Amino acid sequence: MSTAVADAAAVTALQGALAAENAAVYGYGIVGSMLSGGEQAAATTDWKLHQEARDTLDAMISKLGATPAPANAVYGLPFPVTNANAARQLAAALEEGVTRAYLGLVAVTDPTLRAFGALAMQPPAQRAVTWRGTTTAFPGFPESGT
Amino acid sequence: MTPNPPRVAARTVNAGFVACLEPMLRRRQLLAASITTVPAFLVLSGCAGPDPLAGPPPLSPDVRGLLAAVTAETNLVFLYNECISVYSGLAPTLRPLLAEHEAHLAQLRSRIIEPPGKSVPTKPSARPRVTGSQQGAVTSLSAAERSAVTANLHRLLAAAPDLAQLYASIAASEATHVTALAGLHQ
Repeated sequence: MSTAVADAAAVTALQGALAAENAAVYGYGIVGSMLSGGEQAAATTDWKLHQEARDTLDAMISKLGATPAPANAVYGLPFPVTNANAARQLAAALEEGVTRAYLGLVAVTDPTLRAFGALAMQPPAQRAVTWRGTTTAFPGFPESGT
Repeated sequence: MTPNPPRVAARTVNAGFVACLEPMLRRRQLLAASITTVPAFLVLSGCAGPDPLAGPPPLSPDVRGLLAAVTAETNLVFLYNECISVYSGLAPTLRPLLAEHEAHLAQLRSRIIEPPGKSVPTKPSARPRVTGSQQGAVTSLSAAERSAVTANLHRLLAAAPDLAQLYASIAASEATHVTALAGLHQ
């Protein structure tokens, strides 16, 4: 694989992770508004962590000579979020989306980016477990339902 | 979940054998060659072909990595079963984690075509005794999970992309197990 092709693949994977982080930053605003007390504080902490991760990805994409894709003004939610239980489910879904996006980075050829993706998917996988209450065998891969 | 890419072949095509024929044979000659004339041609042209006495071909790095990963997961499954058998009170927490390790093992096994002269491990390479205390057993499990995370992160660096993603996902799963086990210390 040529360097240009490898860089293009890396930028595409990084933009995918950035899009997931932007969606998480947006989504946690809704999550936090539906929670209270310690759970709201946890949502605020997670919201800040996603902002930091977004800034890291912005810098990585810029360093490769590309322009980070901007966040959308509004994101469609996967389901209506009208109570605390739905907010917890949304938080878990946001974390699963971020985990999946970082897993995409693991498929690139650059070992440094691979290692980054593999390490970066662990915190959202952990947070998904916290919000969902159960572990999964293959974080980042879609559920088979079987 | 179903990560389901193609299996990793245990041996590769002998490209040197084909390359040896190409300069000397035109397509029509190849088509005309019968099963009896080709061996004679190989002898006359100096092409040795595969040596049946040379032993099995070396394993590819991906197969070596998979075999090591299978062994590591088999050891983890053994350790979880040991802990559950000795400290049944831990079973409600440990059984779901054990089931996930069994899923890892099944997925890793499904990627391997058994290489010639090398069988895919079915038994643990280590059988540590679980003694001392329940907390000690949990500490042992946590340490084993951490080691597995590190090994999978190392393994994925040079693996094929689909295998790298599988190792990364398993490592993330094992990292969540460390957190789940930490809850047993509280």
